[in-house]
Amino acid sequence: MTIKVYSTPTCPYCVNAKEYFNSKELSYEDYDVSADREKAREMIEKSGQRGVPVIDIDGNIIVGFDKLKIDTLISK
Amino acid sequence: MYDVIIIGKGPAGISAALYTHRANLKTLVVGRNNSSVIKAHSVDNYYGVPKISGADLIQTGINQAKDLGIEIVDEEVISMGMEESFIVLTKNNKFEAKTVLMATGQPYKKINIENVDNLEGKGISYCTTCDGFFYKGLKVGVLGYNDFTIHEANELTAFTKDIVIFTNGRKLELSETYENDIKNFEVVEDEIIKFDGNEFLDSVVFKNGKSEKINGMFIAYGSASSTDFARKLGILTNDDQKSIKVDQNYMTSLEGVFAAGDCIGGFNQISTAVGEGAIAAKSIIKFAREN
Repeated sequence: MTIKVYSTPTCPYCVNAKEYFNSKELSYEDYDVSADREKAREMIEKSGQRGVPVIDIDGNIIVGFDKLKIDTLISK
Repeated sequence: MYDVIIIGKGPAGISAALYTHRANLKTLVVGRNNSSVIKAHSVDNYYGVPKISGADLIQTGINQAKDLGIEIVDEEVISMGMEESFIVLTKNNKFEAKTVLMATGQPYKKINIENVDNLEGKGISYCTTCDGFFYKGLKVGVLGYNDFTIHEANELTAFTKDIVIFTNGRKLELSETYENDIKNFEVVEDEIIKFDGNEFLDSVVFKNGKSEKINGMFIAYGSASSTDFARKLGILTNDDQKSIKVDQNYMTSLEGVFAAGDCIGGFNQISTAVGEGAIAAKSIIKFAREN
């Protein structure tokens, strides 16, 4: 399973999301879109959103820290 | 430093304060007198009180708390934060506490402007902390007319200087503290009828037929609600995203922050708010003694 988290350092829900993956012992790639313009563009293209966090689990895009959707995708 | 700050002085907030104060926790109640109960012409379904106006019931509760020596500050809370302790900001004060109870009442304000929902996350945002950086150097608006609005606009100055305050037909209502800041921003008072844009927000359309190009719009309209505070702290909301999620002890997803009353959703009644305030207080007392 490949998990990507598009986040910013100031966003509290980004911290929540990463802590949640840590608690499930799931590894993820974390992209700070406030510092990485290329990843910011990629995030907007994938999600159609200018808001963080955006989470990509095996190509499935979740906007925001939506625990229900995350649980559904990680339990597959 | 307070043991507990209770935001809101409606039935849930005052009920909780009665318990935390009597348990010897250093308690502060802060908020404006804007409980929805005040609008009730007559309340006749509350135990032991055959008939009373909502305004009288609220004032009786506030007086009861004051008579017990509970500290009450009549100021609107405009933001919450977290440093070593929890921070509660009003226009004039910065208070600190070990725990916070959000008892802010009705949690969600609907702005009746076309496309406000369709463009959420696509230019429309409710969280400067989360999304401000996307507008680095771009033109952004802040929708609102009061201290809360200017507080959010001030936060955006870290990302851009091109900030417009859109009051949507209202006159600015600012305290002295924030009046000094307004000179940093352009102010447009025209009433808005529509947010325009296909993929992303592109412009604001006014009732008078004019429009203005804009890259982003942050909503900070009216009083800051519990969901606004939740966004600042990363506190989880219920699936409806309009009310605060709590556990059986009325603690939110953030340890040390509790919520009770209408802001957690459910059966929005005075009796349930009073009961929730009492149970939340019991949990706060336990939490404060253990931490």
